[in-house]
Amino acid sequence: MERQIINKKKRVFSVEPNKIPPSEVFTRKYTSHLVPALKKLNMNKNSSQVNQLTVKHEVDMALALSAQEFAWSRFLLQKLSSSNNPTTATSSSSNGIRIQERSGKEGGGDEDGEIEEKLRELQKLLPGGEEMNVEEMLSEIGTYIKCLELQTIALKSMVQDTT
Amino acid sequence: MLESLVSLECMSLSSMDVSVLERLKWLQQQPQQQQQVRSSTNASPELLQFHGTNNDELLQSTFSHFQMLGSGFGPNYNMGFGPSHETMDGCISRTSSCQMDPADTMGIILKNSEENIAISLKNKRKSEVKTREEEKTEKKIKVEAETESNMKGKSNMSNTEASSDTSKQTSKGASEIQKLDYIHVRARRGQATDRHSLAERARREKISKKMKYLQDLVPGCNKVTGRAGMLDEIINYVQSLQRQVEFLSMKLAVLNPELELAMEDLSVKQFQAYFTNLPVVAASKPSIMIDAPLFPLDQQGSLDLSVINPNQATSIEAPSASWETQSQSLYNTSSLGFQY
Repeated sequence: MERQIINKKKRVFSVEPNKIPPSEVFTRKYTSHLVPALKKLNMNKNSSQVNQLTVKHEVDMALALSAQEFAWSRFLLQKLSSSNNPTTATSSSSNGIRIQERSGKEGGGDEDGEIEEKLRELQKLLPGGEEMNVEEMLSEIGTYIKCLELQTIALKSMVQDTT
Repeated sequence: MLESLVSLECMSLSSMDVSVLERLKWLQQQPQQQQQVRSSTNASPELLQFHGTNNDELLQSTFSHFQMLGSGFGPNYNMGFGPSHETMDGCISRTSSCQMDPADTMGIILKNSEENIAISLKNKRKSEVKTREEEKTEKKIKVEAETESNMKGKSNMSNTEASSDTSKQTSKGASEIQKLDYIHVRARRGQATDRHSLAERARREKISKKMKYLQDLVPGCNKVTGRAGMLDEIINYVQSLQRQVEFLSMKLAVLNPELELAMEDLSVKQFQAYFTNLPVVAASKPSIMIDAPLFPLDQQGSLDLSVINPNQATSIEAPSASWETQSQSLYNTSSLGFQY
């Protein structure tokens, strides 16, 4: 797993951002990452206290690994690796590229502020969203949503399989 | 009553040969609704500015009473209309402080109005932009607003918005005169700031394209119009997806010990089936056979398809309900409790 240090000044981008991964590829990758990881968890933890956090961690890891063509997966990996080693300093900067004010975009100033607020919220939801431009973030959100949907389908079927 | 006064005033003003009146005539020639009312009230901002008081204040408080003022300059210069309106008294007192013959006052007004035209036009332009934003389509507004903002910067825009918010009526009334001047200005501005406006426009189109794509992606976004609502929907959707993932991972954590060894193959086949809408070929599930020899594979295959049910409520609750029954009757295929 490579750790990529994202410089503040570097632009964030995905490789082929507009290309939507075929769902099959993603889910195959996802399950191939997640299932062995869960098995490993099972085997390692003899006292069947599978911590919820570790499972979540694995889930996120699988998501990040199976969607590596996207920028947000890089950030997700970063977060995960940093949470693994809390001593190492995280390179994610807090001062991301904020959304610049768009002058005269809408009729009233209030509307403009509302929309910016919402875009900022959206940025928070997306891993690494705070370091992106608005345009980039919007395209990343699209792929992120897709991958989340596929992830939920995979997890659902996994849950139902085990029962 | 006001309208009758307005008409009177029109007559009185049009009888004089004045640049303001010429403009009014030009406007009157244009076939538009309520032309007379508008044209009569068009002169109001300029005349009001003559008084040298704050434009906004005057526009706010005295617009409705301009007809009275206007008539004051005609032959009917009287305080007769005063008593009915208190603010009217204030207006007329302002005019009466000049106290001159009607003809002279008009002359002075004309002189000053020509001097003030530059100032007034600026203000009107800004308010005109505001009215256009209100009255016309969004695209046009954006273009004009862009040029406006590019020329004057953000601070001016905010000022104009503040001032023009209060002067909706006058801006509407004065739209005729403003149109004339605005057209000239717009042409000039277009040439000067082409690059900026184009770049901004291109950027905005990109963003709107992406918003449209997101709209298709997020279910239920079509009903909401406007960027704020759509962004709300998108935020909610992403949050709900993330919560779902959390919940499912929690469940998985609970059920983890029961994970089947061959789940990997199983899952892959499941997804392939799901996405290609084909029945699962049940040939490659040897490990399952070991656990449940009486377990018919084709049933397992069809069950896989039904398992992947996008409907959350039923699919999540059903396994928990059927878990116990299944554990009891592992070899009994009928009581698996999967949905079909």
